[in-house]
Amino acid sequence: MMNKFKLGLGASVAVSLLLAACQVPAETADTTTAMDVVAPDSDELAVTVHEGDFATIQQFTTPGGISVWLVEEPSIPIMALRMAWETGAATDPEGLEGLTNATTYMMNEGAGDLDSLAFATRMEELNMSFGCGSDNEATYCSASMLTDNADDAMGLVALAMTEPRFDTDPIERFKREELIGIRTRETNDGYLAARARDQALMPDHPFSRETSEDSITAITQDLIMARKDQIMVQDGLLVTAVGAMSPDELAPLLDAALSGLPESSELPAIQDVTLNAPLQAPIVVDLPQPQSLVSFTATGPARDDPDFFGAYVLNYTFGGGGFESRLMKDLRVEKGLTYGVSTGISTGDHLNTWRGGGRTKNESAGEFIEGIKTEMNDIVANGVTEQELSDAKAYLTGSYPLSFDSNSKIASNLMGVRLEELGVDYFDKRNSLVEAVTLDDVNRIAAEYLQPENFTFIVVGEPDGIEETALTLDAGEVVTLDEAGDMEEHEAEETDAMPDPDHG
Amino acid sequence: MRAFLAGGLVATVAFAVAPAQADTAEAEAAPSTFELSNGMEVVVIPDHRAPVVTHMVWYKVGAVDEDPGKSGIAHLFEHVMFKETDDIGPEEFTTIVQRNGGQLNAFTSWDYTAYYERVAKQHLEKMMELEVERMTDLIINDDPEGPFISERDVVKEERRQRIDSNPGVILQEQVMSALYQDHPYHITVIGNMDEVAALTPQDGLDFYKKWYTPSEAILVVAGDVTADEVRTLAEKTYGQVEVASTEIPTRGWQEVQPLAETQTIEHRDPKVRQPEWDRWYLSTSYQEDKEFAYALDVALDVLGGGRTSRLYQALVEDQKIAVSASAGAWLSLHDTAPTVLSASPSDGVSLDELEAAYMAVVADVLENGFTEAEVERSRNSLAASAIYQRDSQASMANNYGQTLAIGGSIEDVLDYPDDIRAVTADDAIAALRRVLAEDKNYIEAHLLPEEESQDDE
Repeated sequence: MMNKFKLGLGASVAVSLLLAACQVPAETADTTTAMDVVAPDSDELAVTVHEGDFATIQQFTTPGGISVWLVEEPSIPIMALRMAWETGAATDPEGLEGLTNATTYMMNEGAGDLDSLAFATRMEELNMSFGCGSDNEATYCSASMLTDNADDAMGLVALAMTEPRFDTDPIERFKREELIGIRTRETNDGYLAARARDQALMPDHPFSRETSEDSITAITQDLIMARKDQIMVQDGLLVTAVGAMSPDELAPLLDAALSGLPESSELPAIQDVTLNAPLQAPIVVDLPQPQSLVSFTATGPARDDPDFFGAYVLNYTFGGGGFESRLMKDLRVEKGLTYGVSTGISTGDHLNTWRGGGRTKNESAGEFIEGIKTEMNDIVANGVTEQELSDAKAYLTGSYPLSFDSNSKIASNLMGVRLEELGVDYFDKRNSLVEAVTLDDVNRIAAEYLQPENFTFIVVGEPDGIEETALTLDAGEVVTLDEAGDMEEHEAEETDAMPDPDHG
Repeated sequence: MRAFLAGGLVATVAFAVAPAQADTAEAEAAPSTFELSNGMEVVVIPDHRAPVVTHMVWYKVGAVDEDPGKSGIAHLFEHVMFKETDDIGPEEFTTIVQRNGGQLNAFTSWDYTAYYERVAKQHLEKMMELEVERMTDLIINDDPEGPFISERDVVKEERRQRIDSNPGVILQEQVMSALYQDHPYHITVIGNMDEVAALTPQDGLDFYKKWYTPSEAILVVAGDVTADEVRTLAEKTYGQVEVASTEIPTRGWQEVQPLAETQTIEHRDPKVRQPEWDRWYLSTSYQEDKEFAYALDVALDVLGGGRTSRLYQALVEDQKIAVSASAGAWLSLHDTAPTVLSASPSDGVSLDELEAAYMAVVADVLENGFTEAEVERSRNSLAASAIYQRDSQASMANNYGQTLAIGGSIEDVLDYPDDIRAVTADDAIAALRRVLAEDKNYIEAHLLPEEESQDDE
């Protein structure tokens, strides 16, 4: 549900370090032409060292067969570890929606001799955190630990991976929490918007399935055990790590934790999503609140599409660049209609979208939508200026080093590159791929993708001034999955000068 | 599940850096502080992992300093700081920073207002020049159709988004108002809608002239820099700003009066699907009484700080009467801060039953104290959080800036791990007894669905 990633925390502050665990850079690149050298100082492991612009990445395979990318970072005594498998919630069996989520929830709820409380207590004693989560297409685990006691901390991770208990009590707790989540999501505007969107655009695809009281109730200990062995297998397992540890020190710890996993499993393939034709009038979902949430979605470029980087640069100018975006300049700065409006490109193995959204008072919902469409029409008809293109490139390339200033960010970035198979030298090439985008590219891409009639608009609230309504839904009528929080996060990230009256 | 009005309420704020036994590398990374001749404080936190810096300017002004009837001016003014100066055209501030590959933002609290840019290290001087420019030469347009007015509309949308659309936050706003009757904390930082709507460009100008001056500012730079580099650049930029000719303004900080009576505030809302129960007590803050606050940090962590806590184990795991149960305090205020007890009931459990079970756990703890082992774990967790914090340049900068802005020192941050480890089980329980004593008044808050008739009063 809202908390896709469940963390067991020894140190409360580690929350922020770990939430980045399942983020994948929204970019792509061509195949690899790495200039790699073999490290001279490792007797046991064949380590390939890539001296990149942003990080020195050591690649190796453990004796147990685990493929690892490691960045040695000695200056702080913290190790950030990421594991990922390319099986996610979309392969939950029919009628058992929520099973993958239940499985990841249970991964830090007890193992070996340690029940849930004992396991959590041990994590506190070791000042470590460990937790797992999933999205539609992948499952992730993440651990943070102090280098001082990394052996013990990794021992606990190993216990969780090899002897999880899946006790009844925490399973029942999971179900109680889920059932409340099902109830509370019915008044969550972001969730309702995502549900309406999915029902309109991909009603028959597994990505639009959602948990139900029945599906949660049907989950059992046996099903969770079996599911874990389907997901957490050696085949396709990816590991990244950043911290004060050498390959020779890390490899045996990883083997102890992961090389006992089943070799592989067979699951049905996920079909690529083709979105339904866009609806030409907004869908309105009634929810009593002073603002309307407006979201809009169209097909976007795939990550391996040659136009991806052009679209990425264009998105900055249109709606992704915070105050520098046309949507913010018009709808917030000029018109005072909203606190934040933004767009983003979302890519995956099976679904690629260009989407956006923002909130405005109910009285101005119609004006807000018209404003968004006017900006779309303008960028399609007139393109962007040379200055806008150069500003977008300057920001996107100049800010890139900011993604490499912490161990946890680097570990997550490495995992993103691994999952998307972008190549170990992706970080070094990425800025030149941004630079290579031309004005012709972005204007052609704008004309192809940003036509207002490509987008399906969803409005959640009690909006005024919406001309035509394709379909009015009561909150709670439809089917979807759990991507509700996404757009909100985007807004928070992209909106500049965002005051936080409650900063603490 | 619960959106706290006060962001740090549950996660007790822990800040600090290197332990005392620093080796050479650690010594080079030790934070340092100095003051410019015009009174501006400077903090430098070296972190050489990546060639980037976090540059922050903290102003010692916030919502506590607003005049009566002008609620929200500190925050609205923060928005206006992005608008226009003598040398920077309308809306160009952000353009310039982002053209330099920078990320920027700002935030306002009751006790402070802060602005930051994160950039590649070679742009640090440029960021300083920009901040100096808007510290000294901001233009506030009094055009009725001008940017001040449209920004006021933006803030009204912000209020609708952050507060008026969220039943739990609406309730918290009411609780804070009751808890701090005669103290500025009783008004939300974003301000009352009516008062925000009536703010004028002149209000903005008055506020600017009074508060935005080097002696009321703290510069924090974290990242790939040395103290010497920062000193050179800061003297060249901020150091050139003249000492303000006006008197140093008196801040709106004041003693918080004890609650005169216990009361219950109920908010029913059609959007609520899951009831919640809270109790708010006035306790202390790091600034008011550090030892008391640290002891309370530990005590609340043991009592309600997570999955292993007394409350979670008793109410969620054993009795299954609650789906969540926690206790925490927001101690990083200048004046007396609240301690909050919270829980959400399982299906079919009334808030009365939940309260009785919750307070039984509290009573047991107050009577019998904590075990040495659980206190030890909490102390270590809190102290270790200071190490994890070192992974984020921005949160390090935040902690130093915030601590100094509310009147603390760099030593408070540096000594945190040792100080928290010095808390004994006796200290912890004594702190808790002091806050939750029988004779203490509190505000109880009930968040309930609209239709459901849960007669628990």
